Amino acid sequence: MNDACQRYAEDPEKNAAHLRECETCRSLYAGVETRPVNVGTLPLAAWEGARYRSWPLVLGGALAVLAIALALCAAAGISPIAALAVGFRSDSARAWIALIDQKLRPLGPLVFATLFIIVNTILVLLLRRAPRGIDA
Amino acid sequence: MRRTILIALVIAATVVTALVAAPLFKTPAAPTTFSEAASMMTRTAVSVSLLFVWIIVAIVVTLMSGREVRYSSIEVRTSPLHCFALGLVAVTSFVLTAILFSYLIPYLVGLPLLIALAVFAVLTKVYGTIAVFHAIGTIVAGTRSRDVLLRRRWLRGDLAMVIIGVLLLGAIRLIPMVGTIAWGIASVFGVGSALATKFGRREPWFLVLRTAT
Repeated sequence: MNDACQRYAEDPEKNAAHLRECETCRSLYAGVETRPVNVGTLPLAAWEGARYRSWPLVLGGALAVLAIALALCAAAGISPIAALAVGFRSDSARAWIALIDQKLRPLGPLVFATLFIIVNTILVLLLRRAPRGIDA
Repeated sequence: MRRTILIALVIAATVVTALVAAPLFKTPAAPTTFSEAASMMTRTAVSVSLLFVWIIVAIVVTLMSGREVRYSSIEVRTSPLHCFALGLVAVTSFVLTAILFSYLIPYLVGLPLLIALAVFAVLTKVYGTIAVFHAIGTIVAGTRSRDVLLRRRWLRGDLAMVIIGVLLLGAIRLIPMVGTIAWGIASVFGVGSALATKFGRREPWFLVLRTAT
């Protein structure tokens, strides 16, 4: 295999003349069936058009939500900053943890330790599975 | 067999979570007094203000790492059951670990561990929820053919899909009771997809030990 053979392997269409000159390549590629691919018939890949940034939609959506938020804050008689502060302060996660702690406490440390080990073992087992995603 | 076990596990975990969480929910009632109506208006104002923050965060994250968000979104759509099961187990694990770390607060080491866990949990939830926004947007407004994609002027691209998802899920969130449940389920899916794809990087969490032959 020389440089010309390598070039033909990399780009057969551009170096088609090489096939007439080289006996080795002719015998090697004789059995290979080539068909033109119609890209339009292939299924749409997830990344096609994904990088397109639709700024009118983004800005329109964001400004519409901002306008509704400001109108509702004005109607409720609170400032938007105060509304955000209330939203961030209402910590439901802390209430959940306190509630579950309260329910688990009477069961004792042994039950808690067993539960902790079981849950984390299942978590590790589930995390070991490779993502399917684009390969599906 | 494995699928049946996974479905049974998901149903059991959902029932347990719902039973534990049930006392937190209050019975929805139509406002009867002026102060109740005002309170409802304030709650809606807070929800929509938070939705605006979600939009800003979603735009920033999608611009910074659009490919990762897309990979996590694909994972939600191709393996929803696995993502939901993983999300439920992960949320339970976060809660149990937080309780364990809270017992360690008197020994000084508890507080930094608790802060680290909280930061990780918040990052997972935020990133995962944005991936769910993308998934919902793609399911609702995504294209299946190249011709339609090329004909569209606005409704294409990761950013548009994320915005469609935020707006849809945000609108559902405003419905009393149903909105809270829908947002909670979306968060569980999000945590599951974020962890299943290692924040869209599609790398294994654990190294596999192979012996030399």
